[in-house]
Amino acid sequence: MRVIDRILGSRLDEALAVRLHHLEHHDGVDFFTLQSADLGRRRLRATTGKGEEIALALPREQPLFDGAVLALERDYALIVRVAEQRWLRLVPQDKASAVELGYHAGNLHWRVQFEGDALLVALEAPIEDYLVRLAGLVASGRVQSSVKAPEVTSC
Amino acid sequence: MTINEPREGSALKAASAARIGIGGPVGSGKTALIEALIPILVARGIDLAIVTNDLVTREDAERLRRSGLIDPARVSAVEAGACPHTVIREDPTLNIVAGDELEARLPGLDLMIFESGGDNLASTFSLDLVDWWIFVIDVAGGGDIPRKRGPGVLRCDLLVVNKIDLAPYVGVDLDAMLSEAHALRDAKPVLTTNARSAEGVEAVADAIAAAVLFKL
Repeated sequence: MRVIDRILGSRLDEALAVRLHHLEHHDGVDFFTLQSADLGRRRLRATTGKGEEIALALPREQPLFDGAVLALERDYALIVRVAEQRWLRLVPQDKASAVELGYHAGNLHWRVQFEGDALLVALEAPIEDYLVRLAGLVASGRVQSSVKAPEVTSC
Repeated sequence: MTINEPREGSALKAASAARIGIGGPVGSGKTALIEALIPILVARGIDLAIVTNDLVTREDAERLRRSGLIDPARVSAVEAGACPHTVIREDPTLNIVAGDELEARLPGLDLMIFESGGDNLASTFSLDLVDWWIFVIDVAGGGDIPRKRGPGVLRCDLLVVNKIDLAPYVGVDLDAMLSEAHALRDAKPVLTTNARSAEGVEAVADAIAAAVLFKL
């Protein structure tokens, strides 16, 4: 098991990028993928894309981030990749529905973002768990729902 | 140059102490579970401290300090006020400060346990405060608790169903309760305990060690 107790930097850091680029060409870069909801964790166990068992024990002042470099050796590097967040896109059809929707999202402590006239709710559980809480609003058509597909990014 | 190279899990003293949360409804057995965990963790050589949360008293902290199980200086109290979930989720500053103070005072700490104030099924921990958290429910609270789908039950890293010895006396079908809990939590673990007799508590200690201490 590889124990990691600090983040070495970002894959975009100039000092690291050259070595990472070299390793990429020799299949030496491994990725550790985690859900965005788990970014706050400082300690966890996981298996990397190449199958290596790792244990994170990071200082509390070192949060994980997409592109964090966790290991850098002559023939191996390990980089954090954050899985794309799926969002439930909710569009209220009038002010009254918007107020009611806002109440529910706050009362249920959902993680949200705003996108124009839409409320985006981070899906951290099956979508049914969210829709059932809004059954009246959605079934009546006062709020329209859809799932926002993850944007494609490269790491 | 080799950085963050593979090594044995024993060399972790340089990192900050692991922080875990134990939450759950009033009376579910959070403090009793901690009382049962302390001797097991200490026997494993784990250096620990505890932060308790109460509404407007320091009842749980005093209970642990008087227990004789742990040096009273290793127990800190946070008064949560009317909303115990707020100080472990929305704004955990009071708890973070209490944890930092303990860690500064107790170098070499392996594990810090944050016990939430008794709350409802909706309480969850912020990952700014803890690395991993347990939610404790109890059989006497009702066999239907899991299917009420409270965020605490669904999202915790480990669900503990306590007071399993009481099932026959409160008309709860424990097998059905556990089956529903497993189904709702997908692959996330569920353990059973009777914290008063320490039944099942070794397994909880195993889970803590495996998740954040890397000593198994």
